Amino acid sequence: MKRSWSLFGLIPALALTASAQWVNYPTVGIPRTANGSPDMNGKVPKAADGKPDLSGVWEAEDQTYFRDLADGLSPDAVVLTPWAQALQKQREERDHVDDPLAKCLPHGVPRVNTNGMFPFKIIQTPALVVILYEQLGLFRQIFLDGRKLAADPNPSWLGYSTGRWDGDTLVVETSGFNDKTWLDTFKGRPASEQLRVTERFRRNTFGNMEVRATIDDPKAFTKPWTTTPQKMHLQLNTDILEFSCNENEKDLQHQVIK
Amino acid sequence: MKAAVLTALLFAATATAQWLTYPTPDVPRTKDGKANLTAPAPRMADGHPDLAGVWNTQPGYTGNLAKDLKPGEVSFQPWAEELYNHRVSTEGKEDPQAYCVLSGVPRENVVPYPFKFLNSKGEIVILYEALHSYRQIFMDGRPLPKEPNPAWMGYSVGHWDGDTLIVESKGFEENNWLDNSGHPGTEMMRLTEKFRRIDFGHMNVEMTIDDPKAYKKPWTVKLVFTANPDTELIEYVCDENEKDLKHLVGK
Repeated sequence: MKRSWSLFGLIPALALTASAQWVNYPTVGIPRTANGSPDMNGKVPKAADGKPDLSGVWEAEDQTYFRDLADGLSPDAVVLTPWAQALQKQREERDHVDDPLAKCLPHGVPRVNTNGMFPFKIIQTPALVVILYEQLGLFRQIFLDGRKLAADPNPSWLGYSTGRWDGDTLVVETSGFNDKTWLDTFKGRPASEQLRVTERFRRNTFGNMEVRATIDDPKAFTKPWTTTPQKMHLQLNTDILEFSCNENEKDLQHQVIK
Repeated sequence: MKAAVLTALLFAATATAQWLTYPTPDVPRTKDGKANLTAPAPRMADGHPDLAGVWNTQPGYTGNLAKDLKPGEVSFQPWAEELYNHRVSTEGKEDPQAYCVLSGVPRENVVPYPFKFLNSKGEIVILYEALHSYRQIFMDGRPLPKEPNPAWMGYSVGHWDGDTLIVESKGFEENNWLDNSGHPGTEMMRLTEKFRRIDFGHMNVEMTIDDPKAYKKPWTVKLVFTANPDTELIEYVCDENEKDLKHLVGK
């Protein structure tokens, strides 16, 4: 009964085990329409401190931004530096075999939000928001306790994140990345240790959230750029599953350069 | 404080570059500014002890979870004893954790890496630095699933018995290793953990392994977690720059 999956989630693989999981445990507090069905356009729930409550299981609408983070932007909005151009070219020429995700290494920020095959769960408390990601079983901590981003952090895949509320939008700033991440899958856009990501999470309705990410990395891009709104949908009556990337891994041997 | 010392040694190289020194709010302090580990345990709005925070395990159980137990208290079924002896004699070369597979519970409770308890609506989440993993303990009254998909972390529900958090888990993997020496666990394992925060700095932990397929009777391990304030978990990426596996040859 182990779920079969593909790292890149190109093959729908969730249906097999649904009956054996907690995936049908009812979510509490669902607003209903007159006919009793969930009202995904209902009001945004509020946390005890009055902020919008982003808690819940979410999933990107599809894989648009996982494939191409710059989807919908004009080509002159995203201009790679020569360093980044050369690296992207190398990644394409090597047929993407170097994608860290294929080696069970974290997919970095904001790519970690974008794979529409795997849900993530937001756990919101007043001073700390945690995101539990199903894919790779990763988590991120976003500190809302007023601390500053570290001046000289140890480079990491997921960086160090602080958050604040701008009206009803949770604004998350992240820095302290290593220089190994891929910002997206098909494009393989590089990032450097200078990467600074600003994510703006806005829950528009009960069932819908939009995320925009700004990429500011002067080593990789000639100017900062911001994604078009990434649509995320609340997943009802379900939960994230365990994902142990190295278990029964059969894909890597097929990752060969053409 | 051995755990803190061990942690300090592991982290010394990067301490200045991390958020490892950021002061945790609401920590009771002694006059010299250090965390007062014997101050009363904090409580949540509902009156239950608040287990939130970064904790370290009691050192010494990573290798052998049953190290304090008398002979016979861990009463193996014959096949399980044979498997355990095989795992010991081959020096753990088949240990899934060596291949960066999740180590699951109760093993995550005895590794020398900190973990963080977090309270949320209807659940308690534990973030483990080791293997960058997490666990959800549902407090919303749901029953354990009848036929769960096997998982290294299992499926956990919790409830309060006075000041003690009782966590029941099932739905584990068949080929489980409960510690480095390789005490086996099977899909029949039920794990009961009792967490009682006796003061600010200490949490008494009892773990009972009930796995009739592997053991003739349940057995219980008792140890103490120590609070680890003014620090944070750091990123742990098992597969990165991995150099150990080729040396894991066993006998």
